[in-house]
Amino acid sequence: MPANQPLWLRAVLRLERAVGEPIESAVHSDTYFDLVSTTTRVRRKLSGTAEGVSRRCLHLLNLPAGSDIRNMRQQLARMERRLNQLSHDVSELDEDGSGPDVR
Amino acid sequence: MNPKIASTLNPADLLTRVNRDVERSILRARNGIRYVRGTHRPALGVTPKDVVWKRDKAELWRYKGGDRRYGPPVVIVHSLVSRSYILDLRPGNSTVEYLTRAGLDVFMLDWGVADELDADNDLERYVDWYLPRALHAARTASGHEEVTLAGYCLGGVMAALYAAGHDHANVRNLILMATPVDYSEMGAMVALLREGRLDPDELIDETGNVPADALYSGFYMLAPTVEVAQKATLLENLWNDEFVEGFQAMATWSRDHVPFPGAAFRQLVELLVRQNILMTGSMPLGSRQVDLAAVQGNVLNAMAERDNVVPPPAVEPVMQLVGDPARREELRLPGGHVTFGTGKSAFKHTMPKLTSWIIDHSDTPS
Repeated sequence: MPANQPLWLRAVLRLERAVGEPIESAVHSDTYFDLVSTTTRVRRKLSGTAEGVSRRCLHLLNLPAGSDIRNMRQQLARMERRLNQLSHDVSELDEDGSGPDVR
Repeated sequence: MNPKIASTLNPADLLTRVNRDVERSILRARNGIRYVRGTHRPALGVTPKDVVWKRDKAELWRYKGGDRRYGPPVVIVHSLVSRSYILDLRPGNSTVEYLTRAGLDVFMLDWGVADELDADNDLERYVDWYLPRALHAARTASGHEEVTLAGYCLGGVMAALYAAGHDHANVRNLILMATPVDYSEMGAMVALLREGRLDPDELIDETGNVPADALYSGFYMLAPTVEVAQKATLLENLWNDEFVEGFQAMATWSRDHVPFPGAAFRQLVELLVRQNILMTGSMPLGSRQVDLAAVQGNVLNAMAERDNVVPPPAVEPVMQLVGDPARREELRLPGGHVTFGTGKSAFKHTMPKLTSWIIDHSDTPS
């Protein structure tokens, strides 16, 4: 800690370490990691359930749901990826030695 | 009388200090308003460059400004989780600017921001597809057959796999900066992904990638209260334009993560984290096994002693695993994970030592 720091700043920095170190130990503990994984799983399950319900309701009214749009975007992305790859392959046909030279 | 007290009571000194404090208060108020309003943000990654190659989101930049006295060119491979401008943060505080001014021909391979189109990108795509093509472009642009390949963080893993996995890699020097190989030593960063906790697919969103927010949370939880200390230090130095600019630049970068391509993330978790496969000295890539000891050329293993993202014990085994034992060197640097890009320590230690090592292992000007 530099000696020319004002007293208030030194106090804040010490306080931050005094509070921060136990917090860091807590959030780096197995208990915390288990808690985060459980929370993440529960949250995903709840949002999956809510999505399923809303999708069924929207489909009853013959309306597309968010998940339909998402699936469509994924399909479009897959197609765009293939097109990009084809375009790269074509442009590399005339190039020399640009392909991978794997062991 | 104690000379210190005498100096304190000296009217001339007192007036000087009062003047200084008044000036600083005015500057603090001005900079405080600018900071809160978000105006006067520093320009980041502004060293002049040309885009010499581009495929999908990946771009290879060649930096301008130096007289390029040394060869082979230095190609920096950036990580997949953060933005590459950490290595070119601000004019006067930039690793690439430092290297360029020293007479090196510097290239940066930037992966861009992954989206749905990149969700299927696996490590093979990066190591066997993008990297050979980008390096071919660097060789063509520079006129050198060889390269000095420098990988930062996960970019170092990809650089090492490329150098080890390609017959004609032509890597004269391989520089691994904060490159983790022993994932059992990565601590909190990967603890959530170990067997029995979260599966990679539970972190992947509808775009097929790990969202940037999830990555930011991982870094934030390494030291959740440290921001208080940083803000207090900012308040004390708010009068100092240079300090505020540096603070804003770092704050911007540390929040500016990019989505991690889903396929590469699954491989990283399964092979690197759960199997800790790099510690066996080889790794399956595509249809082959890549042996890390097969790296030709000089290897520099650079690590930061106070790195809490990639701690030194995760990096140290490079010295037993990568390349020819007679051509391995280790460089220990004071500072944290970003000492490779910014900060006082970067300027005092990292940049001069890295530059000097590269020049020592390059062709001297004719």
